[in-house]
Amino acid sequence: MDKKYGVYICTGCGIGESLDIPKLCEVPEEEGITCKTHGQFCGKEGLEMLQQEIDGGVNTLMIAACSPRVNYDTFDFPGSIVDRVNIREQVVWSHPRDKFPALTEEEKEDEEKFDRVQMMAEDYLRMSMAKTERIILPEPYKLEEEMSKKILVIGGGVTGITAAMDAAKAGYEVTLVEKEEKLGGYAAKMRKQIPVDEPYEKPMKPMIGGLIDELNGFSNVTVKTSTVVARLAGQPGEFFVTFKKPGEKIEFDVPYPLPEEMTVDESGKELDAETLHQKFMEYNEGRKDILTIDPNAEKFGAVVLAAGWKPYKPKEGEFAHLGFGENPDVITNYQFEEMAAAGKITRPSDGQPAKSVVFVQTPGKEDDADFSYSGSTASLVALKHATYLREDYDDAKAYIFYQHMRTPGLSENFYKSVQQDTGIFLSKGKVSAVSKNGDGLTVEAEDTLLGEKIGVKADLVVLGTGMVPATKDDPVVNMAYRQGPGFRDIDLFNGYVDSNFICFPYETQRTGIYAAGTIRRNMTMGECMEDAAGAALKTIQSLESVNRGVSVHPRSGDMTFPDFFFQRCTQCKRCTQECPFGALDDDAKGTPKPNPTRCRRCGTCMGACPERIIGFADYSIDSIGSMVKAVQVPSEDDYTEPPFRVLGIVCENDAYPALDIIGLNKGAFSADVRLIPVRCLGSMNVIWIKDALSQGMDGVFLLGCKHGDDYQCHFVKGSELADIRVKKIGDALASLALEHERVAQFEVAIDDYDKLPKIINDFVESIEALGPNPFKGF
Amino acid sequence: MADRYMIEPDLNFIKELNGMGADTLKKCYQCATCSVACPISPDDRPFPRKEMIAASWGLKEKLIKSCDIWLCHNCGDCTTMCPRGAKPGDTLAALRNYAIMDYGKPRALAEAVNDPKKLPILLLIPAVIFVIVGLITGLLDFTPEGSEIVHSHFFSSWLVDLIMVPASIWTVVIFAIGIKGFMKDIHENAVAEGKTQKEKLEIVPFLKSIVNVIPKILMHSKFSECGENEERATSHMMVLFGFIGLFIVTSIFFVTMYGFGIHGPYSQLNPVKWLANIAGVALVIGSALMIKNRFAKQPDQNTTYKDWSLIGLALALGLTGMLTEMTRLGGAAGLSYTIYFIHLMFVFALFVYLPYSKLAHLVYRTLAIAYADYSGRKF
Repeated sequence: MDKKYGVYICTGCGIGESLDIPKLCEVPEEEGITCKTHGQFCGKEGLEMLQQEIDGGVNTLMIAACSPRVNYDTFDFPGSIVDRVNIREQVVWSHPRDKFPALTEEEKEDEEKFDRVQMMAEDYLRMSMAKTERIILPEPYKLEEEMSKKILVIGGGVTGITAAMDAAKAGYEVTLVEKEEKLGGYAAKMRKQIPVDEPYEKPMKPMIGGLIDELNGFSNVTVKTSTVVARLAGQPGEFFVTFKKPGEKIEFDVPYPLPEEMTVDESGKELDAETLHQKFMEYNEGRKDILTIDPNAEKFGAVVLAAGWKPYKPKEGEFAHLGFGENPDVITNYQFEEMAAAGKITRPSDGQPAKSVVFVQTPGKEDDADFSYSGSTASLVALKHATYLREDYDDAKAYIFYQHMRTPGLSENFYKSVQQDTGIFLSKGKVSAVSKNGDGLTVEAEDTLLGEKIGVKADLVVLGTGMVPATKDDPVVNMAYRQGPGFRDIDLFNGYVDSNFICFPYETQRTGIYAAGTIRRNMTMGECMEDAAGAALKTIQSLESVNRGVSVHPRSGDMTFPDFFFQRCTQCKRCTQECPFGALDDDAKGTPKPNPTRCRRCGTCMGACPERIIGFADYSIDSIGSMVKAVQVPSEDDYTEPPFRVLGIVCENDAYPALDIIGLNKGAFSADVRLIPVRCLGSMNVIWIKDALSQGMDGVFLLGCKHGDDYQCHFVKGSELADIRVKKIGDALASLALEHERVAQFEVAIDDYDKLPKIINDFVESIEALGPNPFKGF
Repeated sequence: MADRYMIEPDLNFIKELNGMGADTLKKCYQCATCSVACPISPDDRPFPRKEMIAASWGLKEKLIKSCDIWLCHNCGDCTTMCPRGAKPGDTLAALRNYAIMDYGKPRALAEAVNDPKKLPILLLIPAVIFVIVGLITGLLDFTPEGSEIVHSHFFSSWLVDLIMVPASIWTVVIFAIGIKGFMKDIHENAVAEGKTQKEKLEIVPFLKSIVNVIPKILMHSKFSECGENEERATSHMMVLFGFIGLFIVTSIFFVTMYGFGIHGPYSQLNPVKWLANIAGVALVIGSALMIKNRFAKQPDQNTTYKDWSLIGLALALGLTGMLTEMTRLGGAAGLSYTIYFIHLMFVFALFVYLPYSKLAHLVYRTLAIAYADYSGRKF
């Protein structure tokens, strides 16, 4: 595409009053680029003007106006490159003239005087010009072979069945696999379930039977029982799935990555790629490499993982203080459910009716934490179990001691209704001991609502233990991915499959595979069914995005994908290892094999690559690097006291909108910073920092999301990886005789806009204290 | 486990409370809004939150023996503010009713007094007694002589006192038994729950406390702190003073008759008659106001049979008394004698059924307030 450039400066929203627009226009005009202005480009007249420009041959538009976060559909001109230069929120609004005065006519004559805000706007225009020169229009990625739109649902419980039906109702072919001989999962093993309908008051007959009957009525759903997934290779749109019987050993069982200690030689040096692969094949003897596709595999487009839960099995002696393991009349809630499903509630020790039952919701050792893997569901289950007892015996007494009674949403109605039963007694409290007392037990509780140390005689004690996600000990999906068959780092979430719990439910760290139900957190059946619908919709979104060659999420609709210049690849594997989504599988030589539909377009590979051979059509090492170089760094040659220049590399997910909000709220921050948005700090390549410092900029800061166990990074690992990279360049800076304090990373959330000006200003002040970059002017 | 309180919920107790108007007590989820609203809640023992959990756990002993339930005037602030509709005020009222029945011996009579189905029989008992005793002694004259209407001609004062004096003694004896148990229980409960530092209940200081609190009770100083049911203090005061006035009048009448041989009816100019008329009117208006207030508060606050029967009795006493006088002055002899007879039935009912009716709060509440004063409970 031959580019024809045009710069369009909007003078509305206060821009015209604040800036010297003719002078701003000189920036592109000096380069021979036309510059036009209008009082309101987003208005009808302004848009017509832009369209006329496009009709007149301009195909690369730089619109210097509001933030790209607003009016993005207004300035959408298909077929043209549009770069939005944010001079409203991040220049004019966040640098008001009462704090950053414009030059008077007199001062304009004085060559020593400069207008910081005008300089800022001019730099942003230069940066846009540099960037647009180096980017191209993206084209969607299409799979080479025809994609599959079939959906695989793993797990035949309430969640899986609901997800299968929801996807089938939307017109998709679905295959549902269940490892047991029968469908239903734990939902089929209960006496009653927590209500899912108005008025949400009484336990109801389990719905699972009806759901199975309904499922059988779907002609576009294939059910495979006694079946598990041996391996799932490929990528969304073309997952190659090998099924097997549970327990079977086949050559297409998924191979496991080498344990870390096997990846190094005796001296601790990392083995070369080919040796590593050899060792990997030895380690997984009898199994084919992940890149070997099973010719008999069935092809699917996307997957719902609804593998469900297992009852928590207390470890030996774990709840000895509660008599568990020592007294047969102390059981878990799951054992209670089994007993209730089989008949009346009795004492396991002698089979006598259990008419006084204590439900313990907290182990009550050091803290007030509930049993692990329990939560609101355990509270609701205890309430439900109390009603079982009251159903069985008129004179029964059920006691529930809890530290947290969690009954979210409409299940509050259930709580209210159960609470009103004459024979059900609820109290917050810590159960400290359970001891034998004749035929029965005595439960001791403290800090109860009754205000004292109390004791209760019980026939049976039930511990509110949790629901362990099936994914805790078993990958279940068995992905033939180089990073491993399961989800990475989910031990951070106790084995729950997670990507970002709040922002992206259902999304796992593997594109095209969506988690639903109790592998995400403990849930009631009602919640599972809602979850199933959500995950089914996500699979459909995934299929329809792959179909159009665009990214699914969180950069929904993004047409770009990483492009590798393989001739220069050194097989260092960093991209394969660092990709948070396991999108890359390296081959036996260590050369990465991209799987574009697995990719989320965060650019972490681009940030990781030491050879800088990875880039996107509109986002590359060069495009950002050229923006860095386009910033004018005034030196003592220009002014006696030249202003400082500080580069800010800003995550566009949270930090960039926070910066816009500063402008919206008439906040202000230093006018000596130049900000460059990046897709994720994970895509930050340290070469940009080196470029900035070597051209005389005085400091560089990175604004990204919180990282660590409770990370907020939209791409899971990005800000963490950037942090590691920044720490590593400390040495490089020292060799240049630059202080490592010149580079810093800050964690901000979108609602930190009120703190952000101080963060930026403090950093600029600290750089001023260090003095100017000695390389300035060279 | 010496300091451990073994919980034994009494399911029947909960069901009985439910039947006595506390049908919502299980709704309490222990937020303690009631304790914040309640003007008599001490700082260290959230009242009535603790009573609410004890009630929903069926801990009868803890509640019935507590002096605290008697300090509540059922002002209704807690009930109005309760976010769950648990109506703590109703629960406390039910607890007091339960306690009255528990301390009123014999239990069978206590239960009968609180059973609306037994009301006709209970009212028939005095009628039968009056007629039988009257006929046997000949003190009942169905054809009274004289042009002036004199009720004692129809219904001899001897006959009235022959029945009413033993009835009063009965009441005193029943109360004495009840009070003995009550005082023992509330003191034990206070000691057990750390509500008092005093190990033994000393009679003389306790009597001083009674003297201390009586003016406060008469002034309704605690009662008027209530926000929600403010107007109830007025009607309650009218009824209380009505009863006190009539008690004074009756005593004067009794003394003058037996001491000085002066018989009624008194002249309307007699100051004793003034007092009698004022007290009678106060009783009628006060109890009528109570009925009006009770209706206005429904269904937010429960009014049980026990409440209605007492207010009804007060109104009936006042009305029949006033009507007896009016018909006498109006010269309607037959009517006047009939109403007088009915009036006497109600007076009998008042006396004999007093220890079992809600009116027993006159005794238990006074003692409880005095005990609270004695034990140093802050309220």
